[in-house]
Parts: sequence; structure tokens; C-alpha cells
Amino acid sequence: MVTPPVVSLVLTGRNDGYGGDFIARFFRSLRFNHQQLTARGIAYELVFVEWAPPSDARLIRDQIFDALPELDVAVCSWYVVDPRYQEVLSLNPRLEYLEFPAKNVGVRRARGRFVLTSNCDVYFGRRIFDALAAGTLEPRVLYRAPRHDLTLPAERAPLDWSVLEDPRNLAGPAHVLKPPYMGSATGDFVLLDRESFHEIGGFNEVYRVARIGIDRNVLVKALSSGLRIADIGGPVYHENHEGSYRLNPAAYAGRETEAPWGDRRWHSGGVSYVNPPTWGLSEAPVREIDERVWYLDFSWAAMPPLVDLTRIVLPVARPGGPAPGHYVRKR
Amino acid sequence: MRRFIAAFLAVFGLVSSRRYEALSRSLEDLKAAGAESKKKASQAIAQQRSLESELRRQSQLVVKLRGSVEKWKHYHDNVKMLRDRLADTERELMVARDHLMAIEVKLDILEGAANVLDRRTRITAPQDQHESSARA
Repeated sequence: MVTPPVVSLVLTGRNDGYGGDFIARFFRSLRFNHQQLTARGIAYELVFVEWAPPSDARLIRDQIFDALPELDVAVCSWYVVDPRYQEVLSLNPRLEYLEFPAKNVGVRRARGRFVLTSNCDVYFGRRIFDALAAGTLEPRVLYRAPRHDLTLPAERAPLDWSVLEDPRNLAGPAHVLKPPYMGSATGDFVLLDRESFHEIGGFNEVYRVARIGIDRNVLVKALSSGLRIADIGGPVYHENHEGSYRLNPAAYAGRETEAPWGDRRWHSGGVSYVNPPTWGLSEAPVREIDERVWYLDFSWAAMPPLVDLTRIVLPVARPGGPAPGHYVRKR
Repeated sequence: MRRFIAAFLAVFGLVSSRRYEALSRSLEDLKAAGAESKKKASQAIAQQRSLESELRRQSQLVVKLRGSVEKWKHYHDNVKMLRDRLADTERELMVARDHLMAIEVKLDILEGAANVLDRRTRITAPQDQHESSARA
């Protein structure tokens, strides 16, 4: 029996030029994270979900090993998802990328004892590598890390700690995580043992109307499921880029329904969910198209119902635990 | 001898002048003491009347305060009852808000699904079909 890796790093993306130079940012951060993980001897698996890739562009998978020859094919599990899933799953035509159903594809198939979902332009901080190397992570604890947004120098020299940890590169005040949710840029860092991630059924796949807030919603679900949320003790670093929600969160003020990330005012902090058993497109027909590259073919059998309102539920209040949510006036 | 003379004079109701003066002084003293006592008695009577009046006033005040205490007790009970009711209402409001959130989220989903189905219908149903049936 093969020993599972300590951690599965679940990322999603596609070659669509998101944020200006998506591929370059992704390769840069992956190179850094890979170097750090390898240097500390942390057995990891890269689970990459290439979600609904454009037909007229090369797959990222076809470029990555040229750009990062140090990356071992054996530690990569690559899933290419038929674009029809994006088209059919979406309940909001303005959403161009169902980030969390995409991440769920990876979470569902990850083999690591812990699963870390993050984004393609995120550099993990020292404390994260330390915690992974020390083996001190606990099950049933959802670990969070605050995000430090960086404006990096224009010249693209290899990044190291001196650049990441230089306070002069901070694009603004460093985020602080506040209990009970420890929210704020949650999509950049959710680390949980695989069993618990499966127990909660990944990220919300029922509310496919917005992308924003789905990460916060997983925290409500975690608390409601009796998991603890903890700050891992150090930050992740995010390279600022055009089109980032963080750079201009009020860009769609007054016309929230037109935002490409959905209406940020939805009650992500107040409701929980029960994903269908098919979460993560577990029933999708899969065929291997290359070494450790699988293609998820479209099948209606893999699709959850268009609407399943019984799967939106109220969070469970636990004695001694924080209030599971509070009402926010939406309109 | 002096004692004998005094006794002899006493038989006739007579006293010596010295004795007479002493007795006269005593009588004056007694008269003054009597007048003083009368004055004090008058003062005491006045004070008694004042105290009685004060007692009546205080009694009335006690009765009034007893009424107020009863009123405050009633008020306190009412406040406690209102507080309990407020706590219940807050709990009910929280539950109602929770349900409202869930309903709004479900409405979002329904609205999204309706929009998606509308788009799909418009794409899949050829426009000219409708037009031709309208002409027919």
C-alpha cells in the first residue's frame, strides 16, 4: 500500500490570462512552494484542476514541466474538466469560473492526509512549511492563514524570503484573522485533514450563484459540523494583480448582481449546506489522457440537480461555540 | 435656753426674725421653682403637640411610601416580565432572521435557475419557429 503524502495541495486554474499574466504568476509561486516543500522533505501531492479550459489555448499541463523541470510528474495529479460542467452548473451567467466546484474536484480526489486548498498566486509563509514539516497538525481543525498582499518589483527575479517578508512590499495593512470564523481571503488558505474535508463535503456546491463568499461559507459549515478553526500562526503572501477583487471590492457597488464574482451580499455567513453525494463531480466519467492526467468527460449523471433547496440549511449552534451566523440585511 | 425660748414662742405661733427670713426665702424659692416647672410643663405640652403632629405626618408618609413601594414592586415585576419577554422575542427574532437568510439564499438559487433556464430556452428554441406559428 502506498503511503499517502502529508499534504495534497489543491489548486485550480486555466490558461485564460486571468489577472494579466496568470501562467507566469502561477509558475512563480509554484516554483517557490515546491522548493520550500522539497527542501524540508515534506511529502506532498499537487492536485491541479484545469477547469473548463479554453479550446483555443494550450493546457497548462502541457507547459508546466517545461517551465518547472524540477517538478516530478509522479507528485502531480492533473484533472482537466470538460467546459460543459461550467456551462451547466452555473446559476449565474456572469460567473466565468466556478472556483469552488473546481476545487472540490481536487479535494474529492486528493490522497494526502491533509488537504490544502489555495490559489495559483499564493506563496506560503514559513510557519506553514514549519507546521507541515513538524507534523503537528491536528485532525478536525481547519487551519487558516492571514493574507499579506504584496506589490512585487517589476523585475522578475526568483522570489525568496527577503522579498516576501520585506514590509516595504506590503500593498496595505496585513490582514488579521478574527475569531470565530478567522475569515478574510479564505480561498487562499484552507487546510484540513482529508477525512474532515470529506465529512463536510467540500465547499458549497448548492449555491452556484456566486463565487465570492463560498470560501467564508465553508467556515460556517466547519463550525456547524463541530470542527475547530485555528490560525496556523503565519501568513500567506499574495501577489497583487489586475482584476483582483481585493484591489477594488467596491467596483460593483450599487450593481452587485453584475459582478463577475456574484453578489457579495449573499448570506454566506448565515447559512450552511449539505452537498449532494456526487460533490466534486465524483460520478463524472474519467479517462487518462496522459501520464497522471485525467479528463473528466461531461455526463448528466454527474450533475447535481439544478435546484435542490433542501440542501441549504441553518447552521447548527453548538453549546459553548460561537454563534453560527448572523443576519445581514441584503437589500 | 435658746431652744426653750423658741419652743415657748412656737406655742403662740411665733418664730424668730431670722427664722422668718429663712422661711420667706424658701417660700420665694419654691414659688420661683413652681413658675419654672409650669413653664417647662407648658413647653413639654407644646413639644408633645408638635411631636404628635410630626408623628401624624410621618405616619401619613409611611402610608404613602408603602403605596409607592407596592407600586415599585409592581413596576419591578413588570420590568422583569418585560425583560423575559424581550429575551424571548430576541430569540424568536434571531430564529426568524436565520430562516429569512435561508429563504433569501434559496430565492437567489431559484432566481439564478430561472434565469439560466430562460437563457437556455431562448438559445434552444429557434426564433423563426415562434414567428411561423404566430403567422399561422
